[in-house]
Amino acid sequence: MSTALAVVAPSLRTRRTGLRYLHAEWTKLRTAPETVWLVVGIVVATVAVSVLVAANMPCDTAVCGGDPTKTGLTGVQLGQALVAILAVFAVGGEYGTGMIHGTLAAMPRRAGVLAAKALVVTCVVAPAAAVAVTASALLGRHFLPGAAGLPAVLRATGGTVLYLLLIGLLAIGVTAIVRNAAAAVGVVLALLFLFPILAAAAPDPHWERHLLQIGPMTAGLAVQATTGLDKLPIGPWAGLGVTAAWAFGALLVGAVLLELRDA
Amino acid sequence: MIVVNGLRKRFGSQTALDGMTFSVEPGQVTGFVGPNGAGKSTTMRVILGLDAPDAGTALVGGRPYRSLSRPLCHLGSLLDAGALQPGRTARNHLLWLAHSQGLPGRRVDEVLERAGLQGVARRAAGGFSLGMRQRLGIAAALLGDPPALMLDEPFNGMDPEGIIWMRRHLRGLAAEGRAVLVSSHLMSELQDTADHVVVAGRGRVIADTNIAALLESAGAGRVTLRADAASIDAAAGVLTAAGAVVTRADARTLAITGLAAEAVVSLLTSHAVPFAEVSSHRATLEEAYLELTRDAVEFRAASSPSSSEVTR
Repeated sequence: MSTALAVVAPSLRTRRTGLRYLHAEWTKLRTAPETVWLVVGIVVATVAVSVLVAANMPCDTAVCGGDPTKTGLTGVQLGQALVAILAVFAVGGEYGTGMIHGTLAAMPRRAGVLAAKALVVTCVVAPAAAVAVTASALLGRHFLPGAAGLPAVLRATGGTVLYLLLIGLLAIGVTAIVRNAAAAVGVVLALLFLFPILAAAAPDPHWERHLLQIGPMTAGLAVQATTGLDKLPIGPWAGLGVTAAWAFGALLVGAVLLELRDA
Repeated sequence: MIVVNGLRKRFGSQTALDGMTFSVEPGQVTGFVGPNGAGKSTTMRVILGLDAPDAGTALVGGRPYRSLSRPLCHLGSLLDAGALQPGRTARNHLLWLAHSQGLPGRRVDEVLERAGLQGVARRAAGGFSLGMRQRLGIAAALLGDPPALMLDEPFNGMDPEGIIWMRRHLRGLAAEGRAVLVSSHLMSELQDTADHVVVAGRGRVIADTNIAALLESAGAGRVTLRADAASIDAAAGVLTAAGAVVTRADARTLAITGLAAEAVVSLLTSHAVPFAEVSSHRATLEEAYLELTRDAVEFRAASSPSSSEVTR
């Protein structure tokens, strides 16, 4: 009985600690004035750019813009930047003000703090991303007829929502590593956009393909494709897996550094 | 309550802590004094588990801070009152801290009232003056009703009214039986506040003493004499002949050591030297501090760049 208690008690305590950390980080995110604007911004920017691109796409063939579903989700390219900024603020805002010391004095299990931040940011980004992507997809269908079958469209939209959540996690991990909001935004955007730029400049199609396969954005957005899947550099789910590897890799490195370094 | 033992810490080639050792007892205010760079803030950061020491231990209630499940209920701290996100209201700043310890929102209202911030609780903390931020920091430190408190330079940037408030508050917290550690680079700030003082220099403790005993030893045997310019030379001659060490403070004032005030009066009277005033000198904490640190040559070398701050 007492041995059972000795085993159970610490895990119960850990769970209670986890809930307290989540509660604290949720209160922080909820009461930061920029959060609501960034959430609105994610939706507005994603839908606006998607609609602009879809409405102006020349539609002289039966299948508009090559891949209408993918074209209808173009706004995600901008929306992801706002997701990244929201996630960077959740960690980097504390480094800028020095409040991170108060956070770690109140919650000394540092990896737990990062996990709590990752979870609450995901919970805030998820509904915004779901609304933004769904609205973009529906409006895209209005402007661009000839979309693919339902299973492919559902995979493209659902996968895009997951992609945005992974970009948030990547940004949290990167910010924990560089400990500066401005630098973190720069690093995340560089990680996203450097690979397609390098790929475009690659002298050899073999290299180009490899760069597109390992870039967190180029690989992850393969999940939006509904036509010409055999010509993609990487499969839709495998591509999302690459983005996930980037995101969780960054989180892991960030957590280890947070534990080891002086705050 | 707080026990620091043999802390060592280097930042690159700079030695921040070099065997820092002291303890903070409950029921009294312990001043932690030394020039900037003496290692006070680093020591506090090590106690809070923010910095890891290269050697030594820091324990709060017998345990390392980072092993505490609800640390704010063991040790309340205020390192930097400006370290908060400016857009959040004072109440919400305290609310996330309360939630991190599993404390209810009611507790937030209690500490806001104790710090005198009820009226501005729903205002963004970014618009607060430094004095109000210090009050908010005190409120945060008291959230968990901890038996020990640790404040880094709480008087910095406060107006005189705020300093009086802070002093009274610190005394009150100690009177409730809490252990209170307060750092300052100005000894005078701790006058009438601290019961005990730990003087730090170059990363280690150079004095660890009771304030009352310190004042008594430092104040002994110093007398000031004021007399007419005409008779001051005669007075100096008489007193020097009697074995006192006399220094001329200005044209009408002598500082005397080695003779008690009564002896000075009877000597001058018997030699018929007129004088205006003889006063026995009570040392200020600042003078006691300088006397205490006079022998620490190393310390003096370390503190000389900021000596103007120490003697101001």
